[in-house]
Amino acid sequence: MTITLNLNGNPTELDVKTNYTLQEALQFKLGLTGAKHMCNKGVCGSCTVIKDGRAVLSCQILAVECDGSTVETVEGIAAQPKWKPLLDAYCKWDAMQCGYCTPGFVVSAKALLDRNPTPTEDECKESLAGNICICGTYPRHAQAIMEAALAMNN
Amino acid sequence: MADLVGVNGQRTDFRVVGKPNLPGKASMSLATGVAKFGIDYVLPGMLHAKFLRSPYANAKIISMDISRAKSIPGVVDIVTWEDPELKNLGGSPMGGPPSRPYLDNYADQDGMEVGCIVVAEDEDIAEDALRVILQDTQWEVYDAIVDPNKGRESNAPIVRQVRYTSFDMFSSVKPEDQKGNVNFATTVQGDVEEGFKQADHIIEYEVDLPAFCGHIPNPPSSVAWWTKEPYRDGEWLHVEGAVQRRDSVGRMYGVPDDRTIQEGIFQGGKYCDWGMRKSQEITPLLAKRSGRPVRCAQEREETFDFLMNERFIHMKIGFTNDGLITAIDDFSIADGGIQGNSSFGTANDQGYGPYYTTRCLNIRQQMEIVDTNTGKMYLSGQHCPFNWDTLTVGLHIIAEKLNKDVIDVAKLNLHGPDSQEDPRVVPSFEACIETGKKLMNWEWHKAGAKRLPDGRLHGAGFRYQICPRHAFSGYDCQLEYRGGKIHLPTQGPITGIFAVECNAMIIAEELNVEYDDVIVDYDWRNKFTPVGGGSDGTTASGWAMKECCAKLKKMILEQAVKEAENPPAGGMFSFGPPQPNPIKGYTIDELDIAPKPLAEPKPVPAPPGGMPGFGGPPGGFGGPPAPVNEPVVYVKADPSIFKALSGAVTETLVANFSGRPPAAIWSLGMGKMLDTMNTAYCEVAVDEETGVVEILRFGVVADPGKVIRPTSLESQIDQVMYFSQGCQLFEEFIYDDATGLRLNNNMIEYKKPTVMDVPRVDKHFEETRSGNAVYGASGVSHSMANTHLVICAIYNATGVWVQPPATPDKLLAALGKI
Repeated sequence: MTITLNLNGNPTELDVKTNYTLQEALQFKLGLTGAKHMCNKGVCGSCTVIKDGRAVLSCQILAVECDGSTVETVEGIAAQPKWKPLLDAYCKWDAMQCGYCTPGFVVSAKALLDRNPTPTEDECKESLAGNICICGTYPRHAQAIMEAALAMNN
Repeated sequence: MADLVGVNGQRTDFRVVGKPNLPGKASMSLATGVAKFGIDYVLPGMLHAKFLRSPYANAKIISMDISRAKSIPGVVDIVTWEDPELKNLGGSPMGGPPSRPYLDNYADQDGMEVGCIVVAEDEDIAEDALRVILQDTQWEVYDAIVDPNKGRESNAPIVRQVRYTSFDMFSSVKPEDQKGNVNFATTVQGDVEEGFKQADHIIEYEVDLPAFCGHIPNPPSSVAWWTKEPYRDGEWLHVEGAVQRRDSVGRMYGVPDDRTIQEGIFQGGKYCDWGMRKSQEITPLLAKRSGRPVRCAQEREETFDFLMNERFIHMKIGFTNDGLITAIDDFSIADGGIQGNSSFGTANDQGYGPYYTTRCLNIRQQMEIVDTNTGKMYLSGQHCPFNWDTLTVGLHIIAEKLNKDVIDVAKLNLHGPDSQEDPRVVPSFEACIETGKKLMNWEWHKAGAKRLPDGRLHGAGFRYQICPRHAFSGYDCQLEYRGGKIHLPTQGPITGIFAVECNAMIIAEELNVEYDDVIVDYDWRNKFTPVGGGSDGTTASGWAMKECCAKLKKMILEQAVKEAENPPAGGMFSFGPPQPNPIKGYTIDELDIAPKPLAEPKPVPAPPGGMPGFGGPPGGFGGPPAPVNEPVVYVKADPSIFKALSGAVTETLVANFSGRPPAAIWSLGMGKMLDTMNTAYCEVAVDEETGVVEILRFGVVADPGKVIRPTSLESQIDQVMYFSQGCQLFEEFIYDDATGLRLNNNMIEYKKPTVMDVPRVDKHFEETRSGNAVYGASGVSHSMANTHLVICAIYNATGVWVQPPATPDKLLAALGKI
């Protein structure tokens, strides 16, 4: 089935199997590796993308459900200079170890900053509650997000 | 006490080492999703492979008909255990002979790869074919055992229906001693019975070490293909996803290391679970058979292997009225898991467990290792040595009985640096507890004696541990100087411990350049890999790298002198006589390298026939030199005389060093000699009505000898404390006793801590520099991970023992409330 996405600002037409998840479509049809396949149960948040302005789990959404949607992945976020402070802060604070789950956190963080440009530590934690980092980098994320928010607001 | 060996080991002023917030060299790739792990690779024309996985915990395939499955459109290949190519697949990526056929018709764990592999145009077709194969397979199903206590009973069914020669790197267990499902390991030191006679008190208690699942986030996967290219002779294997074991996988297929290509450097989390999964090894065979790239990806459900096997320990300890331990008797029933299970967590623990850190000379460790169908522990775990907290629990019980601070009891029993009979306190331990008490506002109280203002019970726990590994691996280092930059060629991999970055920091320190002047060149052909097991990869590789830096620095300065004396020929666009070289005439002893100019440059007299001196724009004709924003070679006696490094040395230089630091004190004594120590603390609040335990905070005061990269060290400490929290409060494997099937192989029902669960971890690092590696570093290694620190704090709060995980129902039951 052919679907059309507004993917990271670009109209994108995709021919996908009807049982493909959005994560599978991004990986196998477009070679985008930012939305990671991990739990496949909607628990870990490693596959997080932003669909029509909301952070969603791409392993739990069929690609065909996204026909006509606007989808933003970590690759799209990274391509925008506006979000460089967020990525820089993630690197500065080592908000990653093995790094497998990190793109999912970055997307959740971006979604948070979209709706709340000055989040508190607790708000950062709440927004990341659906992202699991088995390496245990949790305290680093709020630090990075709040620093990025400060930089972006200035 | 310091063991600051090698070139600059005694360095006290650090400019780069120890500096926080230097970004990881590959961090941006990870944060932006550019980093590709084995599971991420997608190639044109790629096929997908799936193993048949056993639906039974203990069963043998009697017959399998693959004809229906083979006829499904899109199924390309089905390889069964009887196929000669599988039978002849040799080698074990862990370095020893294969302990059992690569794939056979016997499964001793549910979910285990068994019988066949399907290769298809996509994963859905492969899964359809496997469903058909399952329908067309006849099994002989045997009784399964998932409780080691039942497995050791004399009338228990024998669980290993097929027994292979076991390959085990470490175990001293003798197969000929096997009785039923049980094998035995016993070690005795001193006279235990005599030790108990010397005791004023004898305590007996039970400790259950919980089974704990591995932490691999990225499902192990690989993609492989073979190439024959006109410019390369012969056949080349390209495999992505093997990462650290690229060469070992190549060797399985008879491919030399230099013909086994792997571009990916991102390994994901392993945490001492270094064992390769079949999904990372099988793809070269399947790609060879099909002539196309083949991908084999595990699901997360298929990656719930043990990081630690379950173990039930009955402890008996004798001690004096002062609290000095006189005898230790450990009787353990350990889950031996399936065949091929690691001996860490079982017999291997006896060699260097916690007991040898005490002054007690009468120690007996008896273990029954029980074959079961629970699963496999691949190599080692984050909780090594696993039984450490049997002693931690004992110290808390002694403290409670004698009404003494548990830290004082620990201090009394811990022996000194030289031997078990050395009564001195290890300085590193002394430093850690002094700081730890301040950090935690430590005030010991009897169990159940303190309530918080909100009415909940307050409890505190304490533990100490040596760093159980230290640095002992050897490393082959190479550094290249090119155009003013220092290049670090390495194969990686990126595993999350930032070992490459630690090395880059040491290079910047030793060569006196900026961290950003060190360029990391990742390539599978490079020999250097700073991975040798946790902090060994940072500290021992750092030691070797420091030596390599000394060689390169000498080469740079020698070359600077040489080029000053004999300037290299100018390029095609250079006009006139060569510019004067300010460092000409100086010897290498008079020169040094600095990250940037240390003083304003002195005007340089114009050479005969050359352009006049200052007067023009900076960097222009007749002007002063352009501002230098790069490392310089300068005259130590007069820093205003310098030359930019890229101009001072135009040749490419390569330095090599292979070696390892002197042996660690700990490894010489296998725990009976002590140097660096670590301590951890925990405060809990327990609600007696609900059984809910809140960790108020963890405290860690550790002595890594010397901190190399504080940002990642702090993060590693958070990590191990959260691992510890998980295994003591939430994580638990659930089995169906009747079938032996594991019921919660998923991230919903096997709960890992999230950001909403984790407590504060207050940290402080002592830097006694008493390690054996770079600048006196030892690393912290796995030693902070624990199984009973929280449990001990709960005991201090409530006066009852609860075995991990301390879920509310278990705690309420222990309190007699349900």
